[in-house]
Amino acid sequence: MTHPGYESQVDLLLDGELTPADARELEAHITGCAECTRLRDERLALRAAITAGVPTFQAPDTLRDRVRATLAAASAETASAETARTERAGAEARARPRPNRVSLGALWRPMALAASLVIVAVGSWNLALRQANHDRLAGEVLASHVRSLMPGHLTDVPSSDQHTVKPWFNGKLDYSPPVHDLAAKGYPLLGGRLDYVNGRPVAVLTYGRRQHLINVFLWPTTQGQSDAPNARDRQGYHLRHWTTPEYMYWVASDLNLAELQDFVRLLQQAD
Amino acid sequence: MLPHMDAAYTLARYWTRNEQDAEDIVQDAYLRALRYFDGYRGESEASARAWLLTIVRNTAYTARKRGRADALTTEYDDTEHSLAAVDDRPDGPQQQRDAKETLGRALDRLATEFREVIVLRELQGLSYKEISEVTGVPVGTVMSRLSRARARLQEVLRDEGGV
Repeated sequence: MTHPGYESQVDLLLDGELTPADARELEAHITGCAECTRLRDERLALRAAITAGVPTFQAPDTLRDRVRATLAAASAETASAETARTERAGAEARARPRPNRVSLGALWRPMALAASLVIVAVGSWNLALRQANHDRLAGEVLASHVRSLMPGHLTDVPSSDQHTVKPWFNGKLDYSPPVHDLAAKGYPLLGGRLDYVNGRPVAVLTYGRRQHLINVFLWPTTQGQSDAPNARDRQGYHLRHWTTPEYMYWVASDLNLAELQDFVRLLQQAD
Repeated sequence: MLPHMDAAYTLARYWTRNEQDAEDIVQDAYLRALRYFDGYRGESEASARAWLLTIVRNTAYTARKRGRADALTTEYDDTEHSLAAVDDRPDGPQQQRDAKETLGRALDRLATEFREVIVLRELQGLSYKEISEVTGVPVGTVMSRLSRARARLQEVLRDEGGV
């Protein structure tokens, strides 16, 4: 009550709605303010209680079946309207030998179309989402790569020793990324850094090749998530993406394509 | 196969406070989603979920309005401008008020506009902006509703002896 403005600020902080700079400032204030500390702890307790006591629900299988059937029926309606229109046009074109004959095909087609429409609708939705997701990630990876090339941003732990770089991530990430030294193959390890991609902190390993830099981004795959390898070029940089059962990989570099392919292959073999 | 159905069903359950109504809402919402799909211009998995939840929410909202008109009743009115955070409508699933009120029950008894922001934020992790899109109110309103809903739930928690 001493400073009412802070109550909403604490909510913003806990809901992840503050910029990192504002969040740090507020956290510093909270540490020194008993009132705000109490407020924050109460909110945290409430959140814990909600997580523990308020369930989310799983849609019952019967509902899934119902929805699937409804969508199929809706598609069939659209499809049979389509068919009726083409049939009519067709009948007129054929003059009038057998005007009223309904072919088996005409009955069968809307059904098949309906079934495929549902599959296509859901399938293309997922596909479109994955595609959009890739575009977004590629943008984030590229931005991070370009930023890392600015003075002083390349590594948090400059070291060519994999046994220095790997443990450095302990306590900074909830996973321990595999770090390989490829110096013998002509790609010396330069170091590692933390970055923020895909809404999470991720490990970035930096390798060199002559004057060129290669940034390797990796983070754990979420359950069952795997997608096709992906290659794209943007603003003169090459981006490569692949997944292993454990990690999502993105690589960004201005290295020539042949050597970058070679590097990617070495990295995949090392895993 | 059908994306985001658990999220859709959870929102509908808390909106309607009733299993059967929730299932009807979800079915109706997916049908609408299929029809409106051409108009969908989202970019990420998260925005697809927000888009779908918006349809679920609007479907539930429309269904409730229609239900009320059918019943020709004005016995209860929790309009958007309601000042009371607590919904004392006696026909909720938790109508028997035991002496000890649990958090789940307290949530059920919140007026819909407060209940939905809690569900979207705490159970489904939507950002303020996404909640604003789903519920069709400005971000500032989302914040004040969240704040009041939390204050109310916190009282309940305190009475439980939790904090």
